[in-house]
Amino acid sequence: MAFVEVRSLRKTFPGVVALDDVALSLDLGKVHVLAGENGAGKSTLIRILTGVSSPDSGSLSIDGQDALADPSRFSRIAYVPQELNLFRHMTVAENLFMPFARAGFDGLTLSGGALSRATQPFLERFGIRARPAQKVSSIAVSDQQLLQIARASTAKGFQVLILDEPTSSLTHAETDRLFSVVRELRRTGHAIVFVSHKMDEMFGIGDVVTVLRNGRSVAHRSIDELKERDLIRLMSGDEVAIDQSFRPQRGPRPTPPPSDAVGFAAPQSKHPEDEAPLLDVLRLSGRGFNDISFQLHRGEILGFAGLVGAGRSEIMQTIFGARRATSGSIQFERKPWRLGRPDLSVARGMLYLSEERKQDGILPLLSLRENIGISILGQTARSGVISSGQEQRIVDTVIHDYDIKTDSREKKIRFLSGGNQQKAIIGRAMQQRPRLLIFDEPTKGIDIKTKVEIYRIMKRLAEEGVGVILVSSEMAELRRCATRIVTLYHGQLTGTFETESTDNDTLIAAIIGAGASEHAA
Amino acid sequence: MPPSVTAGKSTEVTGQPPRRRLSSLAANQLLGVVFALVAIFLVSAALSPEFLTSFNMVIIARTLAFVGLVTIGQAMLLILGELDLSVGAIGGLAAVAGGLLMVQAGVNAWLSLLLCLLLGAACGAVNGLLVTRLRLHSLVLTIGMAGVYSGLNLVSTRGVAITGIPDQIGFLGQGVVADLPVPFLVMLGCLAVAAFLMFRTPFGRYIYAIGNNTAAARMLGIRVDFIRVVVFAIAGLLSAMAGILMVARLGTAQPSIGEDWVLPPIAAAVIGGVATTGGIGSPIGAILGAAIIGIIENIIVLYGVSPYWQSVVSGGIVVLAISFDSVARRTFRREE
Repeated sequence: MAFVEVRSLRKTFPGVVALDDVALSLDLGKVHVLAGENGAGKSTLIRILTGVSSPDSGSLSIDGQDALADPSRFSRIAYVPQELNLFRHMTVAENLFMPFARAGFDGLTLSGGALSRATQPFLERFGIRARPAQKVSSIAVSDQQLLQIARASTAKGFQVLILDEPTSSLTHAETDRLFSVVRELRRTGHAIVFVSHKMDEMFGIGDVVTVLRNGRSVAHRSIDELKERDLIRLMSGDEVAIDQSFRPQRGPRPTPPPSDAVGFAAPQSKHPEDEAPLLDVLRLSGRGFNDISFQLHRGEILGFAGLVGAGRSEIMQTIFGARRATSGSIQFERKPWRLGRPDLSVARGMLYLSEERKQDGILPLLSLRENIGISILGQTARSGVISSGQEQRIVDTVIHDYDIKTDSREKKIRFLSGGNQQKAIIGRAMQQRPRLLIFDEPTKGIDIKTKVEIYRIMKRLAEEGVGVILVSSEMAELRRCATRIVTLYHGQLTGTFETESTDNDTLIAAIIGAGASEHAA
Repeated sequence: MPPSVTAGKSTEVTGQPPRRRLSSLAANQLLGVVFALVAIFLVSAALSPEFLTSFNMVIIARTLAFVGLVTIGQAMLLILGELDLSVGAIGGLAAVAGGLLMVQAGVNAWLSLLLCLLLGAACGAVNGLLVTRLRLHSLVLTIGMAGVYSGLNLVSTRGVAITGIPDQIGFLGQGVVADLPVPFLVMLGCLAVAAFLMFRTPFGRYIYAIGNNTAAARMLGIRVDFIRVVVFAIAGLLSAMAGILMVARLGTAQPSIGEDWVLPPIAAAVIGGVATTGGIGSPIGAILGAAIIGIIENIIVLYGVSPYWQSVVSGGIVVLAISFDSVARRTFRREE
C-alpha cells in the first residue's frame, strides 16, 4: 500500500461536482506530478489532502491509517502554496519558526541568537541565500520561495510535501535551485507532489504523473511511459494545436521579398514608410529600466523577452501610465502621449492586462456580470443610467464568445477558476475596442487549451489592425506568437529581432546579457 | 396557495425582470438586515405598549433622519474603501455657519442654507483632496480634520449657541407631511438618490469597483482619485444637510450639533452589510442598520432601563447584531 492512498473521492459544491471518483497514490521517495487544466480539480484535491476540506465520500489513508477519521495524520503532509505568504517585514528566522512554540521556542522571551543558530542549518540545506536576521522583503523572490519550502519542512514528522506551481515566478536558474532541493528531499525518502503547467518541468523532475480532467483522475502513469503529446491529450481530452504558429498574417499589405527575411532587417523595411508606427517610444526611463526606445506597428504582435526583474512589466506599466517615467516620451497614433494617466490611456484605446490577475485584474467581491459590465458602461448606460437588459445581453455574449465556464453570470468572480477569470478579463478588455493591447504574461498559470485560445485572440486582434504587445517568460510562447521580439536585460534594451529569422540561442543570449551588442537593432 | 406558488416560480424561470437582477446581489445581503429589523421591531412592540404609538414612531423617524443622512454618506465612503471621522464636525460647522449667516450677516435663509450645503461639500472635498493628493490614510487624516472643523466651529461661536433663526426654515425641521416629519422625508429622498447612484449609474459601479480593488480599477481607466474626492464631498454635503436641518428643528444653532454623528453611522453601515474593507453593501442596508440602532435606543428608554445602563445595553446589542451577521455570512460563504 502506498504511503498516501486516495480512493473514489467525491466532492461537490452547490451546482458543481468538483471531484468525482478520484484515485491517487503517493509513494515515498518519488516526485508525483499532479497535472490538469485549470478547473480540473487540482486545488480541491490539494485542499482535501491537506485536511482543509473534507470530501463528500471516498477514502483517504495516510501511512495506512484512515486520515478522515484521525485528522492528526495530516501533520505528515506539508503544503507550500503557489503565492508567497510570508511575513514580509519580519526576519527570515522568525518566518521559519513561526509559531515559535511549535518549533520548540516556548520560553517567555525569544532569543534572537538561538533562533539564528537554529535557522542556519535550514538555510544551508535548502540553499537559501539570506542571513537569519535579514528581513524577508529584502531577499530575492526565489529565496522566498525556498524559504516557504523550508518553513513547511520545519513541521516535525512531515513525509509528504505538496508544491503548488512553485516555479511560476522563478527564472530558469532559480528553478534549477528549487529542483535540486526537491531531488534532495526525494533522496531522503519524502514524497513530493508537484503541481505545474510547464511541460519541461513535469518531465524534468517527475517520476509519476496523475492526470485530472473535469474532476476525474484519468491516468496514473510512470512519466517515462508518456510523451509530451500524450500528456497534453490526457489533460485536455483532445488534440490541441499547440505546435502551430500564431503569428499574425499580414493581409492586404505587401509582404517583403524573401531576401529581407535573412539577417536582421530594420523594422522599416517590413513596414512601408507611409505607415506611421502606432506606438513610438523614445528614450523612456523610469525606476527599473533605462533609455528604452521601440516602435510598434498596427497588425503586429511585438514580443518582450527578459528574465524576471529585467523591467518588462515596469516598462509596460509606465507606457500605460500606472507608473511614473523619469524621462522620455511616447507618441501614440502620431500624437504626443501624456504619461502617468491610465484613465486617459484607456480612453484613447490603450489597455494593459496585468500579470497579477488577483492583484490588478478582478473585482473579487462582485459578480462576473459586474466585472465585465464595468468596462462596457459606455454601451449600457444611456444618459447616465445603466440599462441592465443591455448589460446582460453583452455580458452573456462575452461569456459565450470567450467560453467562460460558470453556472451563472451572477457568480462572484473569485469563485471562478484562474483560466476563466483570465478569459473574463480578456473578454472585458475586448469590449472596450482597444487600439493597443498590452498582454503581460497572459498565460501564467493557465492550462494549455486556454493558452491556445488566448493565442488565437491575440492573432485575430493583430490581424484586425490592433497593435499587440506580448510580455512573456516563455520563449516558446514568444516565438509562436510574436512577429518581432524585443529583448531586455537589467532594464536595458539589448535587441529587436524578427522572430522568423532568429534562432533561440540568439534570443537567450540577448536576455542573459551576452552578445547583445552585435544584435542590437 | 399552490397556484400562486407555481405562478411565482414560472416568472422566475421565464426570465426575471432586469430591474430586479441588477440589484439582486444587494437584495440578498439586505434580507438578513430586514429580518433583524422586523424581529427587533416585533420584540419592542411586545415589550412596551407605548412603542407602537404614532407619537413614538414620529420620535424614532425624526431621530433616524439626522443620523441617517450622515449614514448614507458614510456608507458610500465605506463601500469606496474610505472613512470620514470628521462628518460630525462638518455637520456642526455647517450648522453654526448657517446660524451666523442668517442671524449675524442677515443673509436670506434659503441662500444661507445653500451656502451651508456647499460648505459641507467643500469640507468633504478638502478631506478627499488631502487623502488623494498626499496619499494619506483617511482614518488618520479625518481624525485631524475633525479637530480642525470643530475648532473652527468653536472659534466662530465661542461655544455659544446662536439664537434667532428665522422661522422660514423652521418647517424643514419641525414640519410634518402625511404624518411623517419633514427631516425624515428629506432623508428618504437622499437615500433614494444615493441608491439610484449606487445601483444604476456608472458612477456607482465605479465606487464598488474601487472598493473591491483599487489597482484593478486604475488599470480599467477609472478616475479613482476624482471619484474619491466626489464621494468625500457627497458625504460632507449630507452631513451639512443633517446639521442645517437640526438648526431648523431646534431653532438655534448649537455648536454641539454633530458630536454624536461619528460612530453610530459606522456601526449602522456595518450592521447593514457594508464591509469596513470596502466593496460590498449599500446605503439602503446602512439605513436599515441605523433604524435597528434607533429602535434599540428607543425601546431601552421606554422599557425603563436605568440611564446608567443604557449605553451598556445598546452597545451590547450592536455587538450581538454584528456577531450574528458575521457568523451567518461565514456559513453562507462556505456554502458558496
